[in-house]
Amino acid sequence: MKTFFSALLNFVVGTGEALFFFGDVCVHLLKGKIRWGEVLKQIYEQGVQSVIIIALTSFATGAVLALQGYVMLNRFGAKENVAQLVALSLVRELSPVFSSFIFSGKAGARIAAELGTMKVSDQVTATRTLGVDPVEFLVVPRILACFMVLPGLVVFSELIGILGGYTIGVFDANIQSSAYIHQTIRAINFVDFFSGFIKTLFFAAIIGWVCCYQGFQTKGGSLGVGQYTTKAVAFSYIMVVLFNAVLTKIILTFWG
Amino acid sequence: MITIKGLSKRFDQQLVLDNINLEIKKGELLVILGESGSGKSVLLQHLMGLLKPDQGSIAIDGQDITKMKEWQLLKMRKNIGYLFQEGALYDFMTVFENVAFPLVEHTQLKRKDIKDKVKRVLKTVGLEEAGNKFPSELSGGMKKRAALARAIVLDSKILFCDEPTSGLDPIKSRSISFLIKKISSELHCTTVVTSHDIRNSFRIADQVILIKEGKVVGSGTPRVLQDSQDAFIQEFLS
Ligand SMILES: Nc1ncnc2c1ncn2[C@@H]1O[C@H](COP(=O)(O)OP(=O)(O)O)[C@@H](O)[C@H]1O
Ligand SMILES: [Mg+2]
Repeated sequence: MKTFFSALLNFVVGTGEALFFFGDVCVHLLKGKIRWGEVLKQIYEQGVQSVIIIALTSFATGAVLALQGYVMLNRFGAKENVAQLVALSLVRELSPVFSSFIFSGKAGARIAAELGTMKVSDQVTATRTLGVDPVEFLVVPRILACFMVLPGLVVFSELIGILGGYTIGVFDANIQSSAYIHQTIRAINFVDFFSGFIKTLFFAAIIGWVCCYQGFQTKGGSLGVGQYTTKAVAFSYIMVVLFNAVLTKIILTFWG
Repeated sequence: MITIKGLSKRFDQQLVLDNINLEIKKGELLVILGESGSGKSVLLQHLMGLLKPDQGSIAIDGQDITKMKEWQLLKMRKNIGYLFQEGALYDFMTVFENVAFPLVEHTQLKRKDIKDKVKRVLKTVGLEEAGNKFPSELSGGMKKRAALARAIVLDSKILFCDEPTSGLDPIKSRSISFLIKKISSELHCTTVVTSHDIRNSFRIADQVILIKEGKVVGSGTPRVLQDSQDAFIQEFLS
């Protein structure tokens, strides 16, 4: 019982600290003290790191969707609708969520490990001794970069995924190329695209926030860096999954 | 001048600093001697405003830094150099960029002036050849020198060094100690060094204080301390 309450207390305090940290980041953003040079560096590193694995995953996912979709739709005699199935699944749900998972495993882990290493080797404290705010110097650029890179990666993932579907649809299921493209374009409307895209913005903020926070919390040497990095990725996953459920419900309620 | 009054700090149950009173005169080189775990680093972190005490005050040039907010402290720290035990250089920057960092952040100097200044400071610490190296390519002694260069590049009037000789062989220990002494007297900066290295401390200190379990148990010039009859002091020094 006692351990339960102390665990609960830890959880509440931890959540409070994490929210306070996020507030601190927001204050810096509002003040407009942004190091654009650092942001560009981070955009490059985060983007380059995830782009290939996202391309691979998206292409395979699009292809598998087309394969399975073709079998299923064929039973109802609606095999021409494969293009819609692929495009809508990717745009509304799969690309935002899969890309966020991959992004938190790659860029998020990198952020947590980098900041964690800096924390345990006193580089974060050293920043304070040099008269510079560590959140402004180390955190804000990373979170901002997440916010810019992930949406880009998601759009990229959608395009590659559709290409994967197209490849199967045209070369395996013998749907006419022009018909497939036409169906795809007709399938996706503004609401479909943005209902996925808005979620992406939330996921980007969550991953940046959680991973930077865990990095800054790191203690206990190299062992600690490993622990806190794992924790950062696990928390990002959980938060993305939970927020996805809640946001999907909200978006569907308002937008159907 | 730095005045510490009734400073106490507790971590959980453990009393790490116990009612410390201390006065550090302008331009003086003070060594805080003590065994590891005696609270030296914690004391130094309080002087830099990195930790908040439970009780007591620290006045630097008449201003109580324990009452300052972090943004005020950030401003104040521009005038204070701090050398970390392991150097704490940014590992994603070269030595040159590390030393240039405070200048880029806090001065309006032109690129060329920054370059000149960094070169000069690197020369002072004997690292003029290592500017393009990354911290991971440096030996322990070189890391400390580079970190010292970064700490003094803004011509701070106060310098804090946390165990500058730890992890170094006797010859390197001696040379970094004398380097700190040289910098301290050339720049006329008030210097506080923590150490458990008695020989080198006595070589360079104007004043020494001895701490044990967070309490000051002895103080004076190296000579006075050496002649002290106190049992603990003699045991520690022997
Ligand atoms: N952030 C902290 N949290 C809890 N305990 C600490 C912290 N920093 C130091 N301590 C404890 O305070 C004592 C003094 O530490 P320190 O000042 O680092 O000793 P040293 O004299 O070797 O520099 C040690 O017992 C250490 O475990
Ligand atoms: Mg120490």
